[in-house]
Amino acid sequence: MDFTEINHLLELARLELSNEEKEKIAQDLAKILDYVNQLQEVKTDNLEPMAGGTFSENILRDDEINPQKLNLGKEGYFEVPPIFE
Amino acid sequence: MIEELHQKLVNKEITAMQLVEDYFSVIEKKDSQIQAFLTLTKKQALEEAKKVDEKISRGKKIEILEGIPYAVKDNILVKSVKTTAGSKILENYVASYDATVIKKLKSAGAILVGKTNLDEFAMGSSTENSGFFTTKNPWDLTHVPGGSSGGSAAAVSAQMCAFSLGSDTGGSIRQPAAFCGIIGLKPSYGAVSRYGLISMASSLDVIGPLAQSVEDAEIVFQIISGQDPMDSTSCEVKQIQDTRYKIQDTKIGLPQEYFIKGLDKEIQTVIEIMVQKLKKQKVVVKEVSISSTPYALPCYYIIMPAEVSSNLARYDGIRYASNSKFQISDSKLNLRDLYFQTRGEGFGKEVKRRVILGTYVLSKGYYDAYYKKAQKVRRLIIEEFNKVFKEVNFLITPTTPTPAFKIGEKSTDPLSMYLSDIFTVAANIGGLPAINLPIGFTKNHLPIGLQIIGPYGSDYSLLQIAKIIENIL
Repeated sequence: MDFTEINHLLELARLELSNEEKEKIAQDLAKILDYVNQLQEVKTDNLEPMAGGTFSENILRDDEINPQKLNLGKEGYFEVPPIFE
Repeated sequence: MIEELHQKLVNKEITAMQLVEDYFSVIEKKDSQIQAFLTLTKKQALEEAKKVDEKISRGKKIEILEGIPYAVKDNILVKSVKTTAGSKILENYVASYDATVIKKLKSAGAILVGKTNLDEFAMGSSTENSGFFTTKNPWDLTHVPGGSSGGSAAAVSAQMCAFSLGSDTGGSIRQPAAFCGIIGLKPSYGAVSRYGLISMASSLDVIGPLAQSVEDAEIVFQIISGQDPMDSTSCEVKQIQDTRYKIQDTKIGLPQEYFIKGLDKEIQTVIEIMVQKLKKQKVVVKEVSISSTPYALPCYYIIMPAEVSSNLARYDGIRYASNSKFQISDSKLNLRDLYFQTRGEGFGKEVKRRVILGTYVLSKGYYDAYYKKAQKVRRLIIEEFNKVFKEVNFLITPTTPTPAFKIGEKSTDPLSMYLSDIFTVAANIGGLPAINLPIGFTKNHLPIGLQIIGPYGSDYSLLQIAKIIENIL
């Protein structure tokens, strides 16, 4: 991985590194990527990607209206404190 | 041990205040060397203990954890107490609310003695990545206590608290428990609410107890677990009705992929002796195979950093991690610079490494080859676990490939450090409950740990079997 690529990742991650740190990270990433590349050997053709850590879906609370929290102002809009002055 | 302390309190052999004082005198004696704690909460602890004593003296019944001193890993929020996650970037952060587990322990009457050291944001296997200092292994101060919950493990092992809480994303409860010779339970994913746990990798993180006995771990698990409206991934795990669990009815699998070259000879021998003992008790122990095992760690090192890079975006100098050095009011500094500088200065080496790695595997052009591929392998690993659990009830493996290593031994080579989690990550990938049980020592008096892994949701039967094995030892 060269400096251009590292710089691009740093830009995406909003992270500042010294040149010395960049060199070390490029070396480390090369080793780690080499290691994780083992996964390419695994046949995964008929497998759906597993998103998240559980098979359960959308555990939601009941959608109850709490009148105390409802602060409807003029014309039925929510009223919030001003954001800009 | 908790039960014993509880009886002493009930029978007025000791007061809750004296119990707290006793633990603090151990802390004062030992912690200058071990360095398990980042923050101590003695004043509040004594105030809480006083209330428990008043309750006892009024003749009121107390619950099992009332007055019992415990410690918490410093990535779990305790209202009005500093919570650093072991990171300089949160050096001055004071939590504004209690994590669900803390709320539950507070209402159960347990008494917090302090917050324990960890690898920064729970990223590491030795506490050497802590932004503050390295915790030492109580069995040998030149060795690491393991990590990332190294402070919590060392604190229990050195008897500086009755039990502690840790978090486990790839082995961070079980590996330090193995290195420090104590019990460490990683519950099923979702069995314990993550609300108030500083997120590392949300699809893998789980909070669990570290304790002196399986019974203690069970008492704590019973209190901290359960579905929580504040964590939509939390769930109830079934309690077992029949507590007369017979070990003869149990089939145990030894996955051959865990008994590989590179496994320490002494650990292997101790486990073999253990297996012989189980066979003598007429337990069916058989070799099984989980061929995806070697892919669990590489899979983990894609999914985890991906989630890390996203979860740590919030430390931007605005929402969290305000640094007095950089002020947005400084006219020379724009918002972009504030982000880059806050994160560049505030994060340690390992955190930066994982944020960049995670950014890489999620970035355009690499997403399919890395992240999506890893998500598919994750499913494959889960399917293979499901298959093997049709053959056997539990799996037994070593918890770690080696006993506690020396401080500094692995800190310069990240990959060799990652490999110390090789036997623990699969349970996180699969969301499965797993426990470390101390089963012996090396010639150099370092603890050896056995890992038992159970099917998803089998936490209570896992604890039962662990208790039985604990008694066979």
